[in-house]
Amino acid sequence: MGIVPEPEDIAALRAEFGLDKALLQRYADWLWRALHFEFGTSVATGRPVMAEIALHLPATLALAASALIGAIAISLTLGSLAAVAGRYTGAGLRGLTILLVSVPSFWLALLLIYIFVLRLGWARLVGDGSLTDLVLPAITLSLAAGAALGRMVYERIRAEMSEDHVRLAIAKGLGPLQILTGHIAPRIAGPLATAWANAFGGLLGGAVIVESIFGWPGLGQLILQAIAQRDFPVIQAYLVLMGLIFFATSLAADLAVILSDPQLRRRLGDE
Amino acid sequence: MSDRGSRIPGPRLIPRRLKLADPGRWPIGFALGVVLLAGFGLLALAPIVFDLPAPDEMDLLARLTGPSAAHPFGTDHLGRDVLARLIGAVPVSLGAALAAMAAILAISLPWGVVAGLAGGRVDAVMMRLADIIMAFPMLVLALAVIGFMGASLEASILGVAAAWWPSNARLVRALVLSASHRDFVRAAHLAGASRIRVVLRHVLPQVLPSLAVIISLETASVLLALSSLSFLGIGAQPPTPEWGAMLNEARPFFAQAPHMLIVPGLAVTLAVLAFNLVGEGMRSLLDKREPYRW
Repeated sequence: MGIVPEPEDIAALRAEFGLDKALLQRYADWLWRALHFEFGTSVATGRPVMAEIALHLPATLALAASALIGAIAISLTLGSLAAVAGRYTGAGLRGLTILLVSVPSFWLALLLIYIFVLRLGWARLVGDGSLTDLVLPAITLSLAAGAALGRMVYERIRAEMSEDHVRLAIAKGLGPLQILTGHIAPRIAGPLATAWANAFGGLLGGAVIVESIFGWPGLGQLILQAIAQRDFPVIQAYLVLMGLIFFATSLAADLAVILSDPQLRRRLGDE
Repeated sequence: MSDRGSRIPGPRLIPRRLKLADPGRWPIGFALGVVLLAGFGLLALAPIVFDLPAPDEMDLLARLTGPSAAHPFGTDHLGRDVLARLIGAVPVSLGAALAAMAAILAISLPWGVVAGLAGGRVDAVMMRLADIIMAFPMLVLALAVIGFMGASLEASILGVAAAWWPSNARLVRALVLSASHRDFVRAAHLAGASRIRVVLRHVLPQVLPSLAVIISLETASVLLALSSLSFLGIGAQPPTPEWGAMLNEARPFFAQAPHMLIVPGLAVTLAVLAFNLVGEGMRSLLDKREPYRW
């Protein structure tokens, strides 16, 4: 038989978690503490939530950032090649893009592990979080995101190629590379920067899947454990922090777009 | 006005004449996607026609066996037939994706249409509310919703719907906004057509083709997200057959029984691919632009 808790014990626990206060007051208290990045202690481990997250956050950020760099490289290559290539090569590249978007990252990860870890032995699965262990998870995460962004790069380039200024450039006898870098790239850089910042949010979420497969010691492990144990303070802190990081990257991208676009900069100066 | 004007007609679903001037615009991809979708539909009906073992039927003596005549795709760690589970998962996996998509549309369609047509302060408030949800990465928000509801297939459907609808509402609003600023819509409005008539007869038919593209592509991403959640063990729970969950169960046996790994992953990939191909195919069908070539 378990221990039957005395009413005083229950009252003490309720007081410890602040459950004896009114709902609105509890929310106000939570909000005030959240503003100071205090999310209380984990129900499961009893340690401060922020300490747990600080332990795992760098690994997730490193994974998401390196995957973003990979995704940008992949998207630019796939998108611009598909836009410039001939009819059949272009169709083939677009087919490859759609295929890459459709492959689930968890399956891709398992296949990569099977090939590179079990068959070829080039990488190891149980790593110590060093940079070489980051390669396979980062590739997994960046392939799908890179393909999705590549589709967007292709769409943007195609839209620009239907414009008159590109027609003029062609008429002046400029080569494809010159038109791409000199005429199309400056016009699509802004929207693409915003899309890349948005993709970072997707990578933060996708990191959960990849981390759980590769055993990468990031936030993914923490949040999956928290969901299984209904550890609400950890889930709350995770949601708020991921939102903040996503918000910060989007803001940085927007500022970069405004600062790099003379027209937007002038309009901002007038106001 | 005659009584013809007071009649509220439904939206015209099929355009009066489909212009198919250039047969090259019908891409192979679109056809392939439709064939794949039809294939999955037939696969879901397979248990009625063929005599398959039940997806939950265990044969503990035949655990982790490779493909054979009795079990074309082999058996899993409990001796269950992988093919039977794969087919049993079709209505679960695709059904979950369609249910999530229906929930997303049920919120985003009215939300986007009202915001787009109302404009002004209503539009601003509705879109800022959607923006608040969009401030979180989609999968992260879905994880949080599941975390608060407890892991189940229903929770993952709700979580995905809650995280995916704002971006959809935004797209619908953009479509409605550009459609409602066309001259003939204004003309209909000035001619005294009722608000509902303008929406159903003049705005929605313009939006429908683009909406079909969005729905198809979004279903692909929702399907991917739901099977990922099941793979993480916080979507469909065992013993429910679901492709992502099957892969999750296969993980510990992955060196001994690679066959458990190949088939469910291929099923997810092909299903997502089908929706993506159909969406992309429709998009290029609707694309009237002609890029200049050098």
